[in-house]
Amino acid sequence: MLTLNWRKHGLIYSPSQFPPLANGVGFAQSPQALVFDDFVRIYFSTREREENSAKFISRVCYVDMDKSLREVLRISPEPVIAPAELGTFDEHGIFPCNVLRHEGKIMAWTTGWNRRVSVSVDTAIGLALSADNGEHFTRFGTGPVMGPSLHEPHLVGDAFVIHTRERFHMWYIFGTGWKKRTPDSAPDRIYKIAHAVSIDGINWQRDGRQIIPSVLGDDECQALPTVIEINGRYHMVFCFRECFDFRTGQGRGYRLGYAWSDDLHHWHRDDSQMSSLASVDDWDSEMQCYPHLFRCDEKVYLLYNGNAFGKAGFGLAEWVI
Amino acid sequence: MFTWKKLGKVFTPQEVTHLPWLREFAQAPATLIFDDFVRVYFSCRPPADEQGKYVSYSAWVDLARHDLFQVLRFAREPILPLGGYGEFDEFGTYPVSVMRDNDVVKAWYAGWTRCESVPFNVAIGMAVSHDQGETFVKAGPGPAIGYSPDEPFVMSGPKIRRFNNQWQLFYIAGRKWKWVDGRAEPVYKIRMATSEDGINWTKLNKDLIPSRIEEDEAQASPDVFYANGKYHMFFCYRYSAHYRGKQNGYRIGYAWSLDMISWHRDDSKAGIDVSASGWDAEMISYPHVFELDGKIYMAYLGDQVGRYGFGLAQLEGTLC
Repeated sequence: MLTLNWRKHGLIYSPSQFPPLANGVGFAQSPQALVFDDFVRIYFSTREREENSAKFISRVCYVDMDKSLREVLRISPEPVIAPAELGTFDEHGIFPCNVLRHEGKIMAWTTGWNRRVSVSVDTAIGLALSADNGEHFTRFGTGPVMGPSLHEPHLVGDAFVIHTRERFHMWYIFGTGWKKRTPDSAPDRIYKIAHAVSIDGINWQRDGRQIIPSVLGDDECQALPTVIEINGRYHMVFCFRECFDFRTGQGRGYRLGYAWSDDLHHWHRDDSQMSSLASVDDWDSEMQCYPHLFRCDEKVYLLYNGNAFGKAGFGLAEWVI
Repeated sequence: MFTWKKLGKVFTPQEVTHLPWLREFAQAPATLIFDDFVRVYFSCRPPADEQGKYVSYSAWVDLARHDLFQVLRFAREPILPLGGYGEFDEFGTYPVSVMRDNDVVKAWYAGWTRCESVPFNVAIGMAVSHDQGETFVKAGPGPAIGYSPDEPFVMSGPKIRRFNNQWQLFYIAGRKWKWVDGRAEPVYKIRMATSEDGINWTKLNKDLIPSRIEEDEAQASPDVFYANGKYHMFFCYRYSAHYRGKQNGYRIGYAWSLDMISWHRDDSKAGIDVSASGWDAEMISYPHVFELDGKIYMAYLGDQVGRYGFGLAQLEGTLC
């Protein structure tokens, strides 16, 4: 297989230039596209501070861009999903929010965050539906459609859904454990990519296994899988990092990985396919994460975040076929 | 109305001195009957930590079959360890319900974790015993039946049953957290799931028992017993606020059903209430009905939801 050629368009949306929230504190994480006839709506998670605790809460907003993906047309006037109820799985924010148009409906699989005491957080996957072209979403229920299960005990999240071969297919992550680097450290999480299928997008059957082999050892963290089908082959981009010291440690933070499959079940990992995205001294030179593949006007694009987990916004690359 | 004759309290956890993990509470009794003894699973707690927070364990006590007030022995260790970091049962395994299945004993139990905005969350796990219920091994590190869109949190109080070649799991699911005097209090309702194999569960997705005392009534311990052509459910219920005392605390209710799906609530038939004085004068809760040598018994908790132990009552007459 030839090495994929990614043409970089650079940072295309900056939350400091077009603030999505009046009281926001930056970040435009995990961009996810919904293509309309004459514009592209890109959902992302941005942050505000909780009133009492001053801790971050992720809210889902969008930016509408022209179809060349160079010009910002409009910012969502308010977050697209209302705050959650007390004690629910998404009470402390939604990040990411994966949106799919299917048979005239717009569906969103959300990753809800809720804070814990012994560990920082747990997550689960919810479903929300839009009846107004993606301007707003209403939760399908107060609980998740996919949460912890017997062998996926925590941190079920990062859903990415496509509809193909008469089924919804979801790629997502689940936690395999929390580990302390030293006895005095706070526990850090480890998670891996998995796959589930569904007839209705609500009830999911999980394969119950890690589908992408680790290259950094058992403690490799794998996140945010995104999949696109091109000429019968499925291509996955995801991000991965070391378990410890990943925020500031040189070379330990997120970078992008790649895998392909012809049958949706067996995946062949080959991170070298992302090498043309490398950069030096730029917005994405220290970290590359939260990828999202989509098609627009016959082109295939990759949205992703750069340094500091997307604090400065998100950028774009084009798959040159 | 049924008539239950109270027989008294079985043991006092504060008086058991040789088990460091059993200092207070003997909650949610559930029985497994052997030839010459009755094993009663219950949940208990070591002393609270510096912040006043408890963890809970589940264990068992064997009672002589011919005299249920004769304690033969306690489990040497809790039947399940607490879960690891971030797991659903990191801070408690309470309550537990057991069922024989061929050569093994299977247990469904509720696991407790601690949250930031609300005090806790609960999920239902499963474990298996290969030594007649003395010790158990967890089926996995996560819960056996998941949260879902309308069962969003606080899935607890599992009671496993097997009628008509099908597994039934009765349990409770949280409906909302309610702020009461600066404290988040959970409201939960009785629910049910069924399974052919005891592994894959289909939720009924319906409240089984209508609320009676208020919309936010909390219901727990759905204990189903089959007799005389009917399914009988004893359960407990309380008000959503200020329920830690006598006024709004737990009482035992009753419902019956022909199919386990449609239930007719009639608390006036329950036939058991708080006593005028003694260990169960403020509240009674967590009923468990079992049959032994031709008699029907109810194990139940007294004041402070079993802080001082559980007792027994014996049915006079029949369940019909």
